[in-house]
Formats: sequence, C-alpha cells, structure tokens
Amino acid sequence: MDDARMGFPPAIPRARGTRIAADPMLLRIGVAVILSLLLTLPALLLDGRMLQGENVWVKPIKFQIALAIYLVTLAVFASLLPKDAAITRRLRWIGLALTLGTLAELLWVGGSAMFATASHYNPHPVMSAIYLSMGGVATVLILGSLMMGLSFWSARDNHLPEALRLSLALGLILTFVLTLPAAGTLAALPGHFIGTPVTGAVVPIMGWSREVGDLRVAHFLAMHALHAVPLIGVAAMGLSNPALARGLVWAGALGYAALTAFAFVQALAGQPAF
Amino acid sequence: MTPETLFMIANPLALMGWLALAIAPLAPRLIDLFAGWVLPGILSLGYAVLMLVHFADAPGGFQTLADVQALFTDADVALAGWVHYLAFDLFIGAWILRDARREGFAHWVVLPILPFVFLVGPAGFVAYLTLKLLRRGIPSPDTEARHG
Repeated sequence: MDDARMGFPPAIPRARGTRIAADPMLLRIGVAVILSLLLTLPALLLDGRMLQGENVWVKPIKFQIALAIYLVTLAVFASLLPKDAAITRRLRWIGLALTLGTLAELLWVGGSAMFATASHYNPHPVMSAIYLSMGGVATVLILGSLMMGLSFWSARDNHLPEALRLSLALGLILTFVLTLPAAGTLAALPGHFIGTPVTGAVVPIMGWSREVGDLRVAHFLAMHALHAVPLIGVAAMGLSNPALARGLVWAGALGYAALTAFAFVQALAGQPAF
Repeated sequence: MTPETLFMIANPLALMGWLALAIAPLAPRLIDLFAGWVLPGILSLGYAVLMLVHFADAPGGFQTLADVQALFTDADVALAGWVHYLAFDLFIGAWILRDARREGFAHWVVLPILPFVFLVGPAGFVAYLTLKLLRRGIPSPDTEARHG
C-alpha cells in the first residue's frame, strides 16, 4: 500500500541543504590531521623531554588542532560554492596545495619535536633555512583561504543568502590579508614576545604572555576571521532589509579587522592583551 | 610508562592475535579483521610513537652492524624493534591464512606453520612459500580441476 492511498502526503526527498556537506579532498586531509593525533597524544604522555618550558609535543599538537580546524572549515565552506567546472577545478588545486602544505608543516613541526629542537626561531643554519621555506608553505596554506574567498566574492548568482555569501567572501579574504602581515612580522622578529620581563605568566592553553606584548594574539584573530565574519553573516541573515544585512556584514568585517589591527599594534607596543 | 611495562602490554596483544588466527575458521572475516588489520595497526602505531619519542636520543644507527647493535642497547628502541616484529609477524600470519583460503588449503594444513611465523617469522614464511610451491609444482587431481 503506498503512502498516497494511506492519506500521507508523498514523501519529500531530503533537501540537500539539510545535511552539512563537505569537499571530500579537504575533508579527508582534515580528518587525516585529526587521526595523526593518535601519534602525538601518546607521545606527549610518554616523552619527558621539554623545550622552552613545555613538553616537546605540545607545539605539534597545537598545529594539528589548528590545521584540522582550518581544513575542515574550508571543506565545509567549499561545499557552499556553486558547482560549476571552473570552481571544481579551482577547488582541486586548493585541495592539492593544502594537502602538500599541511604535510610539510606537520613533518617539520613533528620532526623538530622528535629531535627536541625548536622548529621556530632556531639559530642553527639548516633549521633557520627550513624555517624560511616554511614561511612559503604557510603562505600557500592561507592562499587557499584567499582563493576560496575570491570564489565566494565573484559567485553572485549563488543560491546562498546574500549576507552569508558576502560574509564568507570577506571572512576568507580577511584571513589571508590579516594573517600575512601578522605572521610575517612574527617570522621577521627574533621571537613572539615583545618587551621584558618575561617571567612565564601566560594565558592557559593558548600560551599568550600576560606580561609583555605577544604577536600570536593578532595571528590567532587574523586566522579566525574566516569563522568570525561568517558568524556575523549568519546573524545578518535574520534581517529582512537586504541593504541593512549587507551593511551589517561590512561593518562586522571592518570591525573585526580593526580589532585584529589593534591586537597587532598593542603587541608591538609591548602590551599584553590579557 | 617504563619500557618493561609496555613490553608486558604488547606481548599479550600479539598473543591474542595468534590465538585468534589459530581458530580462524570459526569466524574467518571477523578474525581476519581483528588479527590481520586492527592488532597489527595498533602495534604499528605503538612502534611509531616509541620511535618518535626515543629514536633521536638513542645511540648508534643503521650504517654498520656495530651501529645497529649500539642502537638496540637502548631499552626503548629495543622495545620498538620488538613491537615491530610482533606487528609485522602477525600481519604476515593473517596474510598466510587469507592466501591459504584462496589457494584452497585446509586450515589444519597451514595451522602447523603458524607457530613458526609467530616465533621465527621469516622461517615460517619460507615454510608457507614452500607449501605453496609444492602445491603448484605437483598438482593433485583436485587442484588441477580448480586451476583449470
């Protein structure tokens, strides 16, 4: 007996948008990074070696978590793009570049932990040469965000609500535009702390200094533009006036950029953010 | 955890796998998954973690036999080497049973080879290869029918 004769309305196929989809390549590399915690978390428990006051595996684990969040976010965002041939091709390049970049970063940070040597700010000539080239790799990683942001920017005939599309474009582009100077300055200076005295008072988990300027605050805010601005976009979707919604997204994006710039200048001035 | 403690954890894990392989006909697919993939995977993961943590500080290396001997004087690296044996021997043991099923060997024919793979891995592997070659080289009327 079929549904219609029973008096039920005909079954409606599940709408595509009800389930969170994701770009398979970016999602796979993101999940691979999460699985690689199976190596580093037990290593953290077994290893007694310390570097600059913390277990040698703390830094790789922070990198793994940050990279996994970044990759899974881009994977989910990618599924919101229109599925035309040009964008599919572009996503394939982004996926390939991010896969190679992620592998290089994790091998470098994990390998440094294995040999209990500093991956960043290491004066050894070979290590500092690798550090320099890893700057290029990191740039490739955030170029993925820029490429995807530009795709949202130009995808005006998208099925997405306009406020969300704009917020995705601005957030992704801002991640690149803000991270490049923040991380570039971090790399150019001899360390992430600015000022003295450094006695070791830090924010729990994040490890940011509570006594001197710490450029990693601005780096963190810059990277998370791709989360913060789309959240504003989601909020703006509730507004019935489209011009107002667009205005709110623009204002939110500019405000977030200003906040990041403030954290950057504050750290350069040697002031702690917390 | 001391290397002695980890050694006491790793050995029973591998032994469980071998006991499962011995009774594989009871649940071929499940036991193959458990003893052929999951347990070797867990042991290999343990090996990788041990090497990440201890290899850099260990003496010796791979260049000369004396280097390798020096490397294994480090208890943690010796443990990693042992876990490497356990993982790969078990994987080979499970592979032999899979291959034997494809070849049409009865379980009791391969069963006596398993202890050799467990205790003296490569010798057991050679024993299985010999069995396989003999079967191919001197076909019985039964296998002739199977291989066409």
